[in-house]
Amino acid sequence: MGLFDAIEIAGSGLTAERVRMDVTSENLANAQTTRTANGQPYQRQEVVLSQNGTPADFGSTLAGAQSAQGPAGGVEVSGIVSDKTPDQLVYDPGNPEANAQGYVAMPNVNTVTEMVDLISESRSYQSDVTAMQTSKSMFTATLELLK
Amino acid sequence: MRVGNVQGGRNAYRFAIQMSLTDTTQLALETAMRGTWMRQTLISNNIANANTPGYQRETLDFSGAMQAALANGESPTQVALKPEVQAATAGPEGNGVSIDQESALGAENGLEYEADVHVMQARDEILRSAMGL
Repeated sequence: MGLFDAIEIAGSGLTAERVRMDVTSENLANAQTTRTANGQPYQRQEVVLSQNGTPADFGSTLAGAQSAQGPAGGVEVSGIVSDKTPDQLVYDPGNPEANAQGYVAMPNVNTVTEMVDLISESRSYQSDVTAMQTSKSMFTATLELLK
Repeated sequence: MRVGNVQGGRNAYRFAIQMSLTDTTQLALETAMRGTWMRQTLISNNIANANTPGYQRETLDFSGAMQAALANGESPTQVALKPEVQAATAGPEGNGVSIDQESALGAENGLEYEADVHVMQARDEILRSAMGL
């Protein structure tokens, strides 16, 4: 068991939550983008999280890592995928992007959903920071024993 | 302080109250510190994976095993520190982690660890003064 496992795991959580925040910002920024590189409206992006490098449960990995050196869990971003929800059709005949019927295909981004996601991301980020701080104070307490 | 099953007269009594660097209390403290440290790693992992679909929280409870070991006069170093997976209870993602609960447990665990450290420091003080350091 590495001394700093808890801190490194919390660090992986911080990285993952930052990526989620970046993607949410990207979604919000492109909430009205009707034309991207492929000519289609912007598609909402979503982050896929998975537990880091542990096919089995974390506990057995941790128990195994106690004798040998090795990573002990955490979270990682395993991919960023497009949301397959269909585009929202908005009736706006004056828009240059409107089709023959006067409808414009708008991105499948719902700003309210993104704002709620942002709250969840920032709360998770704060919890990771708290876990890191507790681990740090435990480590400091151990150092006190050496005095 | 209870040290094993000591038979005999006056010497047994003297041995029983003796405090040494590796007596049962010290070993129990060490095991408790190892356990709380491990639990902190588990709590960090639970929080980091609070948004991972299908993740199941893991926890470590060694208080019962420790109590049994001390009651039976076994060495506390034999207490198994084995993390347990808790089946997901709720949530559309099949993820039973509550960030608030984990944060509270993390704070509690940190305090428990620091309490252990303080007891260890106090014992260290006693031994030092006995040695005239």
